[in-house]
Amino acid sequence: MTAPAPMAEAAFVGIAELPSGRYPDRSFMGSLVDVAVEAVRDAGLSMTDIDTLLLIPCLHSAADQADLVFSRVVEELGLAGRAKSSVMLHSGGSTSDNTVRTAASLIAAGHARNVLILQAEKWGSAPVGEMIDMLTANGIPREWEKASGLSFNAVGALIARRYMAVSGATAEEMASVCVALREWARLNPNAMYRDRALTVAQVLDSRLVSDPLRAFECPMMADGAVALVLTGAERARASHETWVRIAGSGGCVSHYSIGQEPDLAVLGWPTASAQAYEQAGWGPGDADIAEVYDSYAAVLAIALEGLGLAPVGDAARMFAAGDFSPGGRLPVNTNGGLLSAGHTGVGGGTALLAEAVRQLLGRAGSARQIEGAARAVCGGSGGTYMDSQVLLLERVSR
Amino acid sequence: MAAITEPYYEALGRGRLVLQHCKACDQAVMYPRHRCPVCHERDLGWISASGRGVLLSFAVQRFGAPSGFDADTPYALGVVRLAEDVQLLGRLWPDADGEWNAYACDAPVEFHPAAPEEVLRRPVAWFRLNPR
Repeated sequence: MTAPAPMAEAAFVGIAELPSGRYPDRSFMGSLVDVAVEAVRDAGLSMTDIDTLLLIPCLHSAADQADLVFSRVVEELGLAGRAKSSVMLHSGGSTSDNTVRTAASLIAAGHARNVLILQAEKWGSAPVGEMIDMLTANGIPREWEKASGLSFNAVGALIARRYMAVSGATAEEMASVCVALREWARLNPNAMYRDRALTVAQVLDSRLVSDPLRAFECPMMADGAVALVLTGAERARASHETWVRIAGSGGCVSHYSIGQEPDLAVLGWPTASAQAYEQAGWGPGDADIAEVYDSYAAVLAIALEGLGLAPVGDAARMFAAGDFSPGGRLPVNTNGGLLSAGHTGVGGGTALLAEAVRQLLGRAGSARQIEGAARAVCGGSGGTYMDSQVLLLERVSR
Repeated sequence: MAAITEPYYEALGRGRLVLQHCKACDQAVMYPRHRCPVCHERDLGWISASGRGVLLSFAVQRFGAPSGFDADTPYALGVVRLAEDVQLLGRLWPDADGEWNAYACDAPVEFHPAAPEEVLRRPVAWFRLNPR
């Protein structure tokens, strides 16, 4: 018997992103093709090097999502007859984390050489009411909870109220999370709110939408598109000075229905992060940046605490103290996050992941690049915050 | 699905809160399931709930309600953990002033049904503060 071939470690070598916001003239398929071409060029590859496409779903249109399922992108990119596999993966807001784990596994097992991950969303241009109804019809148990009138803002509010009760965080401290993210967004030319400042007073003056959440504490739906390219580390080494590896991952699916979550102020983060840090062999104190799903302030605060990046109960207070802002102790969501870069549906997590890779490659631009960033903690969640997914990323230099 | 939902909503329409119960492992089950999620047997029946529990959290929906719910606003949703150690999402009766300021996380609450016609319109379990 011959020895098995050594496992090929996956390496991020290419990224591309379109600005987030309202772009009604930007087509869905055109956006996908644009980021695909740019990311493959960024990776130093030819389109025909791509053998596997992993597609992150859009939520604005069932028809556009069906185009992803049925391989339209393969035709659009000229890969018909060449692509080995084109598949859409979906776990809501944590999709990009699960997709990256899948890509890395395919590369490691020899089932794929070069993987293109694609995402585009048109939420910002879609009718808001239709999107609220679409969300209400998906991810909320129709037999048991839909009749109560549960909305996704109410899901965020249930988590926020519990977090505030347990931690003692004040409304001002919760608002400061949104303000810190806005400060980051002001440094990101791709962010929806790059041109609009935000103060704690403005947040607290905005109308109550779903107590205790106010309008400026709810994410704004946006259009966006992101692409990522992964290859094997040996190929990366041959053509790149620097790439990004996946040091560890962890996950915990803690519930489906918000009514079934036993600890709304903890969720699955402690379980997920313990797995990831054990695999990586490093801990939260070693992180240079964190890029963590943040569709509501409490969701981010809870995640940072479960990831060990803030003492339990202190995350909102630390946001208020500026610890996670530009120039602070630990840069968090350096692209502005979903709350200020724009909530591009499933893509909000993809944009955070792309930002982590961008920072580790040293390509975030002078305004927000974290000097020497070598280790990133990435966290994804979604739906009713049913799962907590952790990716620990590291820069590798030849 | 009807086999699971019907006994629950039929009881709710009569002002009763019932839970699924696994006879094989003597476990209360909520939300109702196709098989017991603990022992995976099919021997599931129904029991009356105590109706008493604690409020884990609550939200008051004022704007941006799903279609058809605008006329209900403001309305309060709460996650209740019952004495039987199972949970559900329900509606909360307002205080006398029409708001929910007397409610707090971990407050004791009790099931207090809505009128049958309201349960027909919105099949939901309603809870109020339990001063005991």
